[in-house]
Amino acid sequence: MQKASFFRIAMRTGAWMVLAFLLLPMLVVVPVSLTDHSYISLPGQGLSLAHYVNYFTNPRWLEATWQSVVIGVAVSALATLLGTAFAVGCWFLSDFWATVARWVLITPLLVPPVVQALGFYRFWVQLGLIDTLGGVILAHTLLALPYVTISVFAALANLDRRIPQAARSLGASVWTTVISVVVPAARPGMLAGALFAFIVSFDEIVAVLFLTVRNVQTLPKMIWQGIQDNIDPTIAAVATVLTLLTASIMVVVSLRRRN
Amino acid sequence: MTAPSSPSVLSIRKAVKRYGTVQALGGIELDIGEGEFLTLLGPSGSGKTTLLTAIAGFTGLDEGRLVLRGKDITDLPPDRRDFGMVFQGYALFPTMNVRNNIAFPLKVRKWKPADIQARVEECLALVQMEGFADRMPSQLSGGQQQRVALARALSFRPSVLLLDEPLSALDKKLRADLQWELKDLHRKLGVTFIYVTHDQDEALSMSDRIVILKDGLVQQIGEPGALYNAPRTTFVADFLGKSNFLDVEVEGFAGGRARCRAGGESFEVATEAPPAGGRGRVALRPERIRLAPPKGAAFEGAIRQTSYLGERCHVILDHPGFGQILVSCPTWKSGVVPEDGLPVSFDWDADACVFLEDA
Ligand SMILES: Nc1ncnc2c1ncn2[C@@H]1O[C@H](COP(=O)(O)OP(=O)(O)O)[C@@H](O)[C@H]1O
Ligand SMILES: [Mg+2]
Repeated sequence: MQKASFFRIAMRTGAWMVLAFLLLPMLVVVPVSLTDHSYISLPGQGLSLAHYVNYFTNPRWLEATWQSVVIGVAVSALATLLGTAFAVGCWFLSDFWATVARWVLITPLLVPPVVQALGFYRFWVQLGLIDTLGGVILAHTLLALPYVTISVFAALANLDRRIPQAARSLGASVWTTVISVVVPAARPGMLAGALFAFIVSFDEIVAVLFLTVRNVQTLPKMIWQGIQDNIDPTIAAVATVLTLLTASIMVVVSLRRRN
Repeated sequence: MTAPSSPSVLSIRKAVKRYGTVQALGGIELDIGEGEFLTLLGPSGSGKTTLLTAIAGFTGLDEGRLVLRGKDITDLPPDRRDFGMVFQGYALFPTMNVRNNIAFPLKVRKWKPADIQARVEECLALVQMEGFADRMPSQLSGGQQQRVALARALSFRPSVLLLDEPLSALDKKLRADLQWELKDLHRKLGVTFIYVTHDQDEALSMSDRIVILKDGLVQQIGEPGALYNAPRTTFVADFLGKSNFLDVEVEGFAGGRARCRAGGESFEVATEAPPAGGRGRVALRPERIRLAPPKGAAFEGAIRQTSYLGERCHVILDHPGFGQILVSCPTWKSGVVPEDGLPVSFDWDADACVFLEDA
């Protein structure tokens, strides 16, 4: 009894410490973003929204945000399309080679990002894609594909294999069967995958640093450069805005799932 | 009576299907008559589903042909065969409501919306599901889902309906009700039904003809009564109902009766021709055996065990020569009141025994 309760206290303390460790950096960013100094610091005399004003009025920050959104949306659409096609195809075949193909597609998750970025760099130079929007979109699509396929696989895992057979026996061609029966069943996985793909692209920096020079300026890259060149607290304001945005999306999604 | 009584709709010629070393279909020959209710009956793994999915076009045959009204359909894809199919587990489209499920085959056939609407209503009425058109499949009970699956498979007026153990997931009472409904539907529509089941009662009660399968081979084909009363092999006699088996020596044959000896007793078996070689095996249905008080009938034995089933009582008898004999007697008019250990006598009519071919 004594031992058990000691164990429980230790476990609880540990769990809270891990949670604090995860959350504290986020909570430090918020006061910094409200500092009244022009350098990264905690607020001195009072609070100021100047850095938020700067973010929302500075054309360079806005341009970078816009570019990140455009890339993210394009990646999300492309990766969802390709990933769904791949997952549906594998689900239909469901033989040895389909299993192999699944694993091959998922392996990029195991490769260190730097190695991947280096690989992209070598090829993109040859393809003339360095410092182009298309180059970044393509690289991010490849990075996001495994996430989409995994979530579509999960959505299709409970789909009865006799359902497409039923569609065929009722007179539907393979194509009609996929569009009207399999894709609707995959839809929850596709939505989750699209969201994942957007997030993967939106906060990706390693590949962007390798593949772009001046033409393409994404939000993570701006933040990164902001820390290096000057010590502008606008970075903290941007980080806070992004955190709030993410948190509110999570809340909306989980509320909708409740209903 | 192994041929269909009406002209053949579908002919299966030497159908062979192998999975690795397993022979799922071992050269099936079968003719299915127009408007017939044909049941494929066999234990699990006997190749019933394989045969049905081969007919539907989901399983490619390694050898053999399928001929539909004189046209070879062996290489047609499933969507061009125009067979309705009801799947084990229903296979309703989970993202569509009942109406859209039933309308699906009509939409892919590009029917006019007004015709589709009318036909959906007609089909819902056919399976007594009016008022459920806007429900999702997940909001229906098993029996209701089965009815929708049936309506969907019939909506485009296929000439042949394939059913793979459609009632196996339902409870006993509902299953009995739906058996009546299916039979009624078959009679009303005149569609050919090819019905797969492993349930012998279902097969006996619904079919025009039954095909008994084992290890991918046809064991026997016939009308339910013919199969039940004249099984040709030990397997059929044992699978379709219960049987006692006696290995007999034939001592003589006269006037359609074979004089047989088994277990130190002798009795007569009605037959047109006794097996050559003077030895054979007979099957004897438990309900054909009469129980009587000691000395009341030909053979003396004792009751080993009884099992009361409501309208019937199953009795296992010990006989010094035959060994154990299963008897099934109606509880309301049994010659004796069965009781464990009770000495009894028993006998049967000459036409109760049937010679088997695989002695
Ligand atoms: N896709 C498959 N792969 C390998 N073996 C199979 C496959 N489908 C069926 N079989 C084998 O073929 C035989 C017949 O199966 P099936 O037609 O499903 O029998 P039933 O429907 O009568 O239970 C079984 O031995 C089964 O294991
Ligand atoms: Mg089966």
